[in-house]
Amino acid sequence: MTGAIRAELLKFFTTRLWWGMAIGIFLAGAAFALLFGLLFTGAFGEESMQGMPTGDATQVANSVYTGGLSIGYLLMLTIGVIQIGSEYRHHTITSTFLAQPHRLRVIAAKVVALLAIGAGYGLVSLAGSVLVGALVLTARGEEAFPSGDVARTLALSLLVLGLWALIGLGVGILIPNQVAALLIGVGVAWIVEPLLGLALRAFEFGRENLAPYMPSEATNAIIDAVQQSPDQQRLEWWAAALTLTAWAAVLAGAGSVLTARRDVS
Amino acid sequence: MDSRSTGARVEVRGLTKRFGGFTAVDDLTFTVEPGRITGFLGPNGAGKTTTLRMALGLVRPTSGDVLIDGQAYADLVSPLSVVGAALEATNFHPGRSGRDHLRVLATTAGIPTSRVDEMLELTGIPAFARRRAGAYSMGMRQRLALAAALLGDPRVLVLDEPANGLDPEGIRWLRGFLRMLSREHGKTVLVSSHLLQEVSQTADDVVILANGRLVREGTMADLQGEPSVLVRTSDASALAEALNARELAVEPGGDGGLVVRTADPRVVGDVALAAGLPVWELTPQRADLEQLFFSLTEGTNRNLGPVAGATREGAA
Repeated sequence: MTGAIRAELLKFFTTRLWWGMAIGIFLAGAAFALLFGLLFTGAFGEESMQGMPTGDATQVANSVYTGGLSIGYLLMLTIGVIQIGSEYRHHTITSTFLAQPHRLRVIAAKVVALLAIGAGYGLVSLAGSVLVGALVLTARGEEAFPSGDVARTLALSLLVLGLWALIGLGVGILIPNQVAALLIGVGVAWIVEPLLGLALRAFEFGRENLAPYMPSEATNAIIDAVQQSPDQQRLEWWAAALTLTAWAAVLAGAGSVLTARRDVS
Repeated sequence: MDSRSTGARVEVRGLTKRFGGFTAVDDLTFTVEPGRITGFLGPNGAGKTTTLRMALGLVRPTSGDVLIDGQAYADLVSPLSVVGAALEATNFHPGRSGRDHLRVLATTAGIPTSRVDEMLELTGIPAFARRRAGAYSMGMRQRLALAAALLGDPRVLVLDEPANGLDPEGIRWLRGFLRMLSREHGKTVLVSSHLLQEVSQTADDVVILANGRLVREGTMADLQGEPSVLVRTSDASALAEALNARELAVEPGGDGGLVVRTADPRVVGDVALAAGLPVWELTPQRADLEQLFFSLTEGTNRNLGPVAGATREGAA
């Protein structure tokens, strides 16, 4: 089992994908920290604050440090899809299953490896965002670390990235065509799912019982960022973490069942 | 790692695979013996690859099973040290080097990286293997696939069309290598091919498949049949009489020639001389493998057109 996990990490780090992604995630973290750091502290003038999402000092700091996650989790979704999709695409799944015929162990190894990769990229993202964000907040006369809750958010953002990678893994198995899986996965996560969340909020039942449990909503609740409308229904951070974990478990679990049964040809 | 490990028997028992209404492999039973090279033959689409994939636990059989050293592939504790397989559709990530591909497999199976480099040396691609696999030629892919199959020093080697894309020198090297593995190390070697002649020089045994069914199983020597001698002379009936008198079986060989059931052309020449008949041609013969292969598998290529139910009786 440890061999299979190490093999999954080796697969990831022996193509050029990993450092391209690392650069992307680092830059996204730094750029959004800069943008949000200036925006939420009113650097563009008081009138630019009108209609802005609002929150207390902790929520502002959270938003600045985790602003890059909106790009980061899409990249992790992509990594999750590719970790299995490229095996189907290049037929390496055959040699993978020959070396480890217990397919559930292969999937379990991928799950562990992707959580580790997610946490690793989380650190890369935070390196960019905390560095730039703390500088901007300090320069704007705000407190860079207003409360201990910020540390919790930073830690949870590592989990968020790992969980999105698992969602990608599930999508990659359910849609064995890698290109289709990437397009559909990113398209749904980036556009369809947030729009659906918006639509659900149009009526009361959806607003209170459905919308908060959507993956992107749960993600925002975990990191406790600033809010567009303060009265908006939102889960507690721990409930949101459980919700996103459930999404990851359902998708990766459905993928595991399929993988165990599917013929490899 | 002990490279003197002996081979293991592979038993295919009542193996059947249906894809919807299409029967790709139909109640297939045969055995592959250790210490021998077995040619696994059939036209394209006969079900060879599906059979191999079922043997390796990649495709689930509709019924029947395959035992390797008495166990199903999925139950082998250390599969790569029992079976090494190079399947046709095994491919490589174009962005990963061949050496890294082998390192991934070795890591999964707990095989040291030093073994990876040994196998790259053995298959003659140590330098190329550090480049990304996207640039590899077909011949290099075959060598890399072979290196992958040998990683665990397996007792059974399963190679799907290994000669495809190899240059003549590579094919010669491969033949010698497989012979060495089976004769000296006692390993079981199963080699699939759609050309009987390709394996005729290497294989000890043959298993021939057509339309997903077994049409012939036996030794290569049996398949090639009794040796014979073709002879041409001025008076065929006089020579046939003289040969019969020496208790040699004779058949008309077409175009006025005679086919004599003997391995020794000198006997035929001596009889002709004694009978005072001129010898115009004297040729030792074996069964025409290409012809034999066609006659065994004729009209059964399901990929070429609609199948008549009649071919089932024809093949049986």
